[in-house]
Amino acid sequence: MLQLLLFNVTNGLIIGAFYVLMALGLSLILNLSNVINFAHGGFLVIGGYIAYTITPYVGFWGALLIAPPLTALIGLIVERVLIRPLYGRDPLYSLLLTFGLAFIFEDGTRFIWGAQGKPVTVPPLLAQPLSYDFFFITGYRLFMVGMVIVTVSVLFVLLRYSRLGIRIRAGTLDLETVAVLGINVRTLRSLNFAVGIFLAGLSGVLAAGQLGLEPTMGSGLLMPSFIAIIVGGVGSLTGTLLGGLLIGVASGLTAMFLPAASEAIMYVLMAVVLLIRPRGLLGEEGMMT
Amino acid sequence: MEFNGQGLKFNRRTLLKTTLAAGVTQIASPFVITARAADAIKIGMVDPLTGVYAAPAQNEVMGAKLAVAHINAKGGILGRQVELLVEDSANDVGTGVQKARKLIERDQVNFIIGDVNSGIAQAIAQVTAEKKVLHIVSGGHTDGITGKDCKWNVYRVCNTTRMEANSVSELLANKYGKKWHFITPDYAFGHTLYEACAANLKKLGGTVTGNELTPLGTSDFSAYLIKARTARPDVLLLLVQGSDMVNCLKQIVQFGIDKQIHVAGTQQELESLEALPPEARIGIWMFEWYWKQANVPHVDDFVAQIRKVNGGKVPTARHWFGYTSAMTFALVANQAKTLDAVKLAQALGDFELPPEVKLQPNKVYYRKDDHQLMTSAFIGEAVSKGASDPEDLFKVDSVVAGDKTAPPPAETGCKVQWPA
Repeated sequence: MLQLLLFNVTNGLIIGAFYVLMALGLSLILNLSNVINFAHGGFLVIGGYIAYTITPYVGFWGALLIAPPLTALIGLIVERVLIRPLYGRDPLYSLLLTFGLAFIFEDGTRFIWGAQGKPVTVPPLLAQPLSYDFFFITGYRLFMVGMVIVTVSVLFVLLRYSRLGIRIRAGTLDLETVAVLGINVRTLRSLNFAVGIFLAGLSGVLAAGQLGLEPTMGSGLLMPSFIAIIVGGVGSLTGTLLGGLLIGVASGLTAMFLPAASEAIMYVLMAVVLLIRPRGLLGEEGMMT
Repeated sequence: MEFNGQGLKFNRRTLLKTTLAAGVTQIASPFVITARAADAIKIGMVDPLTGVYAAPAQNEVMGAKLAVAHINAKGGILGRQVELLVEDSANDVGTGVQKARKLIERDQVNFIIGDVNSGIAQAIAQVTAEKKVLHIVSGGHTDGITGKDCKWNVYRVCNTTRMEANSVSELLANKYGKKWHFITPDYAFGHTLYEACAANLKKLGGTVTGNELTPLGTSDFSAYLIKARTARPDVLLLLVQGSDMVNCLKQIVQFGIDKQIHVAGTQQELESLEALPPEARIGIWMFEWYWKQANVPHVDDFVAQIRKVNGGKVPTARHWFGYTSAMTFALVANQAKTLDAVKLAQALGDFELPPEVKLQPNKVYYRKDDHQLMTSAFIGEAVSKGASDPEDLFKVDSVVAGDKTAPPPAETGCKVQWPA
C-alpha cells in the first residue's frame, strides 16, 4: 500500500510537471495581456503536428528544436492579426475569439492531417523504463521532467534578469505605468505572447511522444492547465508551478482509490481553493477581479 | 456610358439589371436543385465527425457515400435516386438528437443511420421510434440497442458488446490465464462490455483483479496502469477505444508492462493500430471486419473502390459499417417495394445480406428477434509491421459467425413492440 502511494505521488509529480509547462504559457499571456487563451490547446496540437511532419527529415531531436519556435511564429501572427485589436476591450472578447480559434485549429488540423491519429516514435534510448520496480519512470518521462525543469528555470531567469523579463513582470503589475515610461507595450505583449505559445509548442512536441497525436488532444490537456493557474493563483508563476504539481498528484492519488473521480478531483480542488482562498495559493489579492 | 454595336444597346442600367438578374439566378439556383431533388430518397446520417471518434465516423460516412453511388448506379431505390445527408453529432448526445430531429422534420429523410457513440445512438433511437423512421445503428455497440431497449424500427450492423466479449473470452482464458484486470471507458459501451467479459470469466472459473473506470478522453493512463500492474493479473484487458486505446497501449509499452502481463482486449480497430507506433501494435483482439480476406468474393473490389476515395488507404470495419447500413435500406426497399417504415422493418427480420454486401465468408443476416446483424468476428493478433502491405496490421486466425458469438435471443432482453 505504501509502495502504491509512493508510486502515485511520484507519478502525479511527473504528470503535474507537464501541466506546469502548459499552464506557464497560459499564465504568462493571461498575466500581461489579460487574454484567457482558450486556443492554447490548439497551439499545443499544432506544435505536435509540426513535429510529426518534420520528424522524417530532421529526427525527433531536430523536431524538438524546430517545432516550438515555428509554433511561436504562428502565435505571433495570430496575436498581431486577431488578438491585438481586442486588447482595449473587455477580456470576454478575447476569450470568445480564442474559444472560436480553438475550434478552427482543431478542424484545421483534422483537415490538413486527417482525423485519424498519427504515430510518433520517440528515440529508443528514451523508450524504456528505468527500473523494474519504478516501471512508470521511463527515460522519456524523465526527459520530459528534465525539459520542464530546464524550461522553467530558463523562464524564471529570463523574467528576473533580462530586460524583456523585467518589463513583462512590471507590465503584469501595472501596464499603464510601463507604457508611460516609454516602453513599447505592443511589442512587449507580442513577445510575451510568443513566449507563451513557444511553451505550448514545446508541450505539444513532448506530448506527441508520449500520447497519441490527434486533433482533439489539446482540449483534454487545456482544462488541467487552467485549473493549475486558478489553484496556484492568477498572477503568480510560482503559484502556477505549485498548482500544476498539486493537481497532478491529486489526480494520481484519486485514480488509486476512486478511478472514475480522477478527473473530477481537479475541479473539486479548484472549488475548494476558490471557496477558502479565492486568490489562489500564491495569487495576489485583486488579480481575480 | 453607352456601347453601340451590331444593334445592341448596353448602358449602365442594363449592366445593373444584368448583374441583378445574375445575382437572383445565383440565389435561386439552389431552389431549382432542391426542386429537382425533391423526388429523391433521402438517407440521413448522424455521426461524430468532430471529437474523439472523428476518424471512425468519417470512415463510416465514406462507406455510406460509396453505397449511395452503387445504389444510384443500379437505378436507386424504387427507381428514385438516393441522396445522403450527413450531420455531425459532435460526440454529444444533445447535438445528436437535435441533428436527428432536423433530418427527420426539416429534411424529411426516409431513413436514418448513426451513431458511432453508443449513448448518442440510443438517444437517436428514441427520436426515430417516435417519428416512425427506419434506423440502422452503424457503429454503437452497447447491448441495450438490440437488447432491453430494442425498438421495432431500429436495426444494428456492428456487434453487440456481448458478441465482442464472447468472441475472445475463452481464447484469452485458455491461452493466457484466468486472472483479468480491466481498463474500461466510463460510459454505456464500456459498462456493458465489462459486464459481458466479467460474466464470461466467471463462467470460465476466473477472477477479476480490478476494473479501472476511466473517463472518455483520458490522456494519461499511468495511475491506472500502476494499479493494474500491482494487482498482478494474467491478462490486462483494454476495453477503451479510439484515442484512449492509442494513449493506453502506447503507455503500456513505454512502461514495459506488456513484457510482464499479457495485453489483450475485445474490439480493436485499424484506425487505432495505424495511430500507434509499431512497437505498440500488440495483443489478441477481435476485428469486426477486415480488409484482407483471401478467396472471399467482392472483398478486393470493395477495397479497391475505397482506396480510390480514401487517398490510397484500405477500408476499415467502419467503412464496411457505413456501406452495409446504406445498402441495407436499398436492398430491403427494392425487395419489399415500399418505403413504409413498419413494412420495411418487418421485411428486415431474418433478411440475409448478399455476397457483394456482406463481404465475409459466413452467413450474415439481421436476426428477427432482436434486430441484430449476425456478423462475423475476425479474431487474431495485432502485427507491428504489415508484411505485404503497410496497412496489413492484423493477423486473422479465425472468422467466427455472428450467431455463434451472439447470445440466444431470449437472453438479450429484447422484446420488440410493434406499433398498433
